[in-house]
Amino acid sequence: MRAERGGFVLAFVVLMLFAISVAGATGYLIVSAEGTLAKYSGQGAEALAVARAGLQRFVAEQIGVVGDSVSYAIGNGVALITTRKLGPYDANTDLYYIRSEGSVADIFTPSSPARRVVGAYAYHQRRPLAHHAAAMVAAEALYAQNSGARIDGNDFSNDPDCPGTGAPPIEPPITGAIARTATGPLNSGILLGSPSGETWTGGHPQMYDSVAIRWDVISDPAFPVDFEDVVPNFASLPADSFPVVRVNGYFAPGSGWSGWGLLIVNGELDASSAWTWSGIVLAGAVDDIHEGHIRGLLVAGLDGPNFYPNVYWRGTIRYFSCFVNRANESLSYLELIDNTMFEVL
Amino acid sequence: MITRSGFSMVETLVALTLSGVVLMLVSTTFLVQNRYYQSQREYAATHDAARALTERVAGELRSVMPGGIAVAGARTLTLRSPIVLMGVCEIQSPRVHLYNEGGETPLVTAEVGGIGWLDETTGLWTYREASWSYLNGGGGTAAANRCATNGADTAWAAPEFHRVENFQTLFGSLPQPGDVLMLFRGTRFQILESTLEPGRLALFRRVGAGPLVELVTGLDTTAKFQYRTGGTTYADTVVAASLGSVDAVRIVADARRPAPTGGAGALTFGWSVNIALRNAP
Repeated sequence: MRAERGGFVLAFVVLMLFAISVAGATGYLIVSAEGTLAKYSGQGAEALAVARAGLQRFVAEQIGVVGDSVSYAIGNGVALITTRKLGPYDANTDLYYIRSEGSVADIFTPSSPARRVVGAYAYHQRRPLAHHAAAMVAAEALYAQNSGARIDGNDFSNDPDCPGTGAPPIEPPITGAIARTATGPLNSGILLGSPSGETWTGGHPQMYDSVAIRWDVISDPAFPVDFEDVVPNFASLPADSFPVVRVNGYFAPGSGWSGWGLLIVNGELDASSAWTWSGIVLAGAVDDIHEGHIRGLLVAGLDGPNFYPNVYWRGTIRYFSCFVNRANESLSYLELIDNTMFEVL
Repeated sequence: MITRSGFSMVETLVALTLSGVVLMLVSTTFLVQNRYYQSQREYAATHDAARALTERVAGELRSVMPGGIAVAGARTLTLRSPIVLMGVCEIQSPRVHLYNEGGETPLVTAEVGGIGWLDETTGLWTYREASWSYLNGGGGTAAANRCATNGADTAWAAPEFHRVENFQTLFGSLPQPGDVLMLFRGTRFQILESTLEPGRLALFRRVGAGPLVELVTGLDTTAKFQYRTGGTTYADTVVAASLGSVDAVRIVADARRPAPTGGAGALTFGWSVNIALRNAP
């Protein structure tokens, strides 16, 4: 009877199903292996990008003392930056090695993230501001006017107020005053230094270029400072702390604003005789008749030629290299050396 | 008479005929599919060859510093690729003390082909060929201590400080603290006749005086390297005097497989990839 025959079709179907299953499984394995390889390759590339970005960000944001380590969350990964000082390059510059390890974690294998490491060398410009004179103003003339007024380029660093242990070394005298066409004492004022005064006929561009700082950067609100538009409580600061203070707009400080550090006046400085600042003062402009006291160094007229062509200084500016150097270090920054970034294998 | 159930002759013939037709259809399909599979496999192989050629060369090219191309020919490319960069921290003439991450442990010293010296003002490197045994002056605590006297931070890293000998002999002068040096490997890529499949072309790589290693088999005769020296055009070769101005390398990654069984002709696949030298002047 025909109805009793069977089995062949079933066996064939089973065989075909088996073959299809094997082919399907093989295909899936091949495709998934390719996918896994591609994923790991992508994560490795991403980790390298994270490492490079972290290193660049660290160098760009670094101001002041170089930290030992910092980490950034970048994209899907984390960059861990470490630094190592390798010694001096010159009197004001140190060589640093910067290492950045980028890692991108996979949620399926969180304990073994993709890792890539890059290294680079950088110079730490410890004292970026060039010292040319106790007072440099991008005006036509700068005078120490009246009895009691004094602009002095001799180093006063033997003063007991100087920070650090022991008497700091006295540096050679610098120029007393620099302006475009005239400097000098007036009406019993005192102008000293070596030389006491210089005229830089190049005016504002020449002076701006010579100080070796980017005024447009440090006066920008995005540039991070320790204090902005507020007087620091100096009593609560460590004695060796030289903060960066920025004031925006017209600024007429009195005794309450006396202190030390790096003062950035993003506007016009017009201090009273009760004001004393120890360190560096950078100002967009300075008033024509000025009575404050600076123990360190003044650079003014950075916004352009000073609004007042003749500046009569009735207070004192005395060069203290100890304060200037410490304040200058607050502006220190890292500068990557070209062609030194490499992947650490 | 015993009745036996079974196929009649006619049924058998019909079944055989039908089976033959089905078998022929299936086998034809199988053969077509198999041929298609073979050709796809060959295509995949040509893709793989082109990709391997590109990635292998590009990976090393991207790390090359200015002046790092030593020979630029259509079928020969010799690179000085950085192994590690080192910061000079102290000079004890004629010895140079320096720092390199990881120290000697991860360094494949047999691959060291020489030393480079960076001019920080121009960003250009100067290279000298030398073996590690010629340069190596030892390292560890003694070198770290010398660097520490000059202000280096050596905490937990003494094995990463090292001493280099014979620097002055190679360069004529000593570096200064704060300078950056490089250990490099001399890597040569060549497109030659394959040793694995004679009659076909392959990409070979040789590090220093090491053996020539076949990396990629199955390149087309049009596969080559080309070079850009500042303009927009690429040349097959660059003379020695102009090597410093090479700012991009083009990898013409053309692959070829012989015709598969039953195929009409050889399979070719390829692309040209321009690798801008990241650190070109």
